[in-house]
Amino acid sequence: MESSIKNTNLFQAWLVLLLATVFGTTLAGVQTKLGPVIEANKINETMEKIPTLTLGEAQAEKMTEQGNALVIEPRLIEISKNGIKKFYTVYDAYYKDGTRAGFVAKASGQGYADKIELLLGLDADASTITGLFILDQKETPGLGNKVIEKHWRDQFLNQSSDKGLVVVKGKSEGSHEIGAVSGATISSKSVTGIVNRTIADIKHQLILPPVSENDKIKENK
Amino acid sequence: MAPSPHILNTANTTQRMMKDVLIGLLPIICMSVWLFRAYAVKQLIICTLACLISEFLFVRMRGRSASLGDCSAVVTGIILALSLPGSAPWFVGVIASMIAMGIGKIIFGGLGMNIFNPAMVGRAFVMIAFAQLMGASAYENMTGLADAVSGATPLSALKFSGSAIKISELFWGVTNGSLGETSAFACLVGGLFIVLRKTASWQIPLSIILTVTGIAGITDIAGSHSGEFLFHHLFGGALMFGAFFIATDPVTSPLTAKGKWYFGFGTGVLIMVIRLFSGYPEGVMFAILLMNAVTPLINRWTTPLPMGEA
Amino acid sequence: MADQPTAFERFVQGILPENPVYRQLLGLCPTLAVSNGMKPALTMACSVAFVLLCANVVTSLIRNLLKPHLRIVVFTLTIATFVTIADRFLAAYLFQMSKTLGPYIPLIIVNCLIICRCEVCASKQSVFTAASDALGQALGFGLALSSIATVREIFGTGMFFGIRLLPSAWPDWVIMVLPPGAFITLGLLLGLVNWIGIVKSRRSVND
Repeated sequence: MESSIKNTNLFQAWLVLLLATVFGTTLAGVQTKLGPVIEANKINETMEKIPTLTLGEAQAEKMTEQGNALVIEPRLIEISKNGIKKFYTVYDAYYKDGTRAGFVAKASGQGYADKIELLLGLDADASTITGLFILDQKETPGLGNKVIEKHWRDQFLNQSSDKGLVVVKGKSEGSHEIGAVSGATISSKSVTGIVNRTIADIKHQLILPPVSENDKIKENK
Repeated sequence: MAPSPHILNTANTTQRMMKDVLIGLLPIICMSVWLFRAYAVKQLIICTLACLISEFLFVRMRGRSASLGDCSAVVTGIILALSLPGSAPWFVGVIASMIAMGIGKIIFGGLGMNIFNPAMVGRAFVMIAFAQLMGASAYENMTGLADAVSGATPLSALKFSGSAIKISELFWGVTNGSLGETSAFACLVGGLFIVLRKTASWQIPLSIILTVTGIAGITDIAGSHSGEFLFHHLFGGALMFGAFFIATDPVTSPLTAKGKWYFGFGTGVLIMVIRLFSGYPEGVMFAILLMNAVTPLINRWTTPLPMGEA
Repeated sequence: MADQPTAFERFVQGILPENPVYRQLLGLCPTLAVSNGMKPALTMACSVAFVLLCANVVTSLIRNLLKPHLRIVVFTLTIATFVTIADRFLAAYLFQMSKTLGPYIPLIIVNCLIICRCEVCASKQSVFTAASDALGQALGFGLALSSIATVREIFGTGMFFGIRLLPSAWPDWVIMVLPPGAFITLGLLLGLVNWIGIVKSRRSVND
């Protein structure tokens, strides 16, 4: 009788079950302790960039020096294109007095090697690009990954959002032109394409529901 | 990996073959020196010398007697130089030569034992390592040359901006490109010579060119480019040079006639796939390297079994 | 078990004579994937050291309770737990580094080096021996990783630990920070280690 109990699978696995319980509890503890820190890291990564992306570097620094901060509120914008629903996370940035400072949209798309994720800053009436930051990319080191460099991204600054941007070889010479990173035309085109698509998708939705939508979100909170 | 039967294991035969290849390369060398002047001369000297020195050193390191007499290092050096852009700085040629000899050849046990074409191993290494000095921009930054040879290469111009140049210029080779690839005419003359001398097999170049013609022709008709697309892909890039001088390397291509047809077909398909669907405008190098990798497999499939074994 | 190596022997063996990468060819996935710079390489080495030490100690503590046919399950469970802890800690306190390392920290779970040490040493020997074995192996792993990372970072970017070492005229060998560079560097260094080994053994025969 005793040996038959000892031979059942459950009895043999008592150590595994015990360890699983102990380890599971430990992990739950670690997660409760560290989970909020990790979440905060993820949010901060985006939030830190928003003042610079909407106001420009100089003014953003000035505001921090004065101890002012923007009020930032995230919302989701839903787009349905050809029957496919897409979502954009958009951050509305307000000054303390409630006037709008600008928008930052999070967007992603296919690059040369892998997905490129970026933040796009637009001014208060969504007519001008005020900033671009690449959050995540895996483009070729030394070539494609030069799209993260500031002097390349700065080509997007002050470009009007009324029509799409075009990638040109060499130096950009006029408005609506972005000079490709030499040797990395595809990465350059990918980033520019994501920017164009994002603007086309969400521009009309940014301004339209200004107060009522936001109030709804606030109420829901 | 058995050494190919083309190379009877006497240094004599190898040397004869290599001399044939060198003679076959002459028209291409002349064309590139005429077109690129000092750039071509500089690149040829650097690569040949670097290949000879690295072969000498690496063979010494393995404790074998020197094998410079078979001329294979000279051939590798010249093919390597002809596949580089003229504007590439000196260290690109030197590093490519050292990689070609060390990692491409000697590490496998020397001539006849290597899996990959040494020159292409060296070129692939510097192509990825110094993309900016080797890629499309390398050709556009060449200044001080004739107008015809300072712009984008025909294939990248076609791929990235859709502009085409005259077919006759493509054929005679008054265009920009790697040193040895510009003139389809010179490659054909030299290539026919080594084929007629039976130093290179005729099946491989023919099947590569037929496959590329087929795929490019269909694309051409489908997009109604009236031949422009087809001839750019036939004469524009390194196709002729690669088909006659690189793919036919007896060590890294299949042994049997049937295997050679497969090899050429696969190379042609890969060339067109890379040209049409990848970020690179040219795909001859990677196509040949990939097919080198499957050569042992092709050999196994196509070598007839002796009687009684099956 | 008189023939089992002592704690000190275990420690010394792990560093060079039985180096996990160069001698046993274990744990090659992180070796190839995160050795393009010293910072990620050392972070990886520290994470592996932490997991290896904890897994070895725990396994050694419960070694008398292990059933032969269930031991792999127990090893995996133990390793996975500590890997998750390491992963969470990195995400919380070294957020950028954890993004750089991406999936390779969670992938320590399948690093065969750790399960090998659990099986070979920790499940048979005392806690002290298991711990010193873990330290020795982790040191050896760290050494191997940083030797590869040194070559790759210096050739690939002209920098060491992100500090410029070579003049800015140095043409970056981009291939060295890409995956092919990992294979080439590992292959050449392995060859070098074997070559040194052969020369050494020849000398000792001659003496």
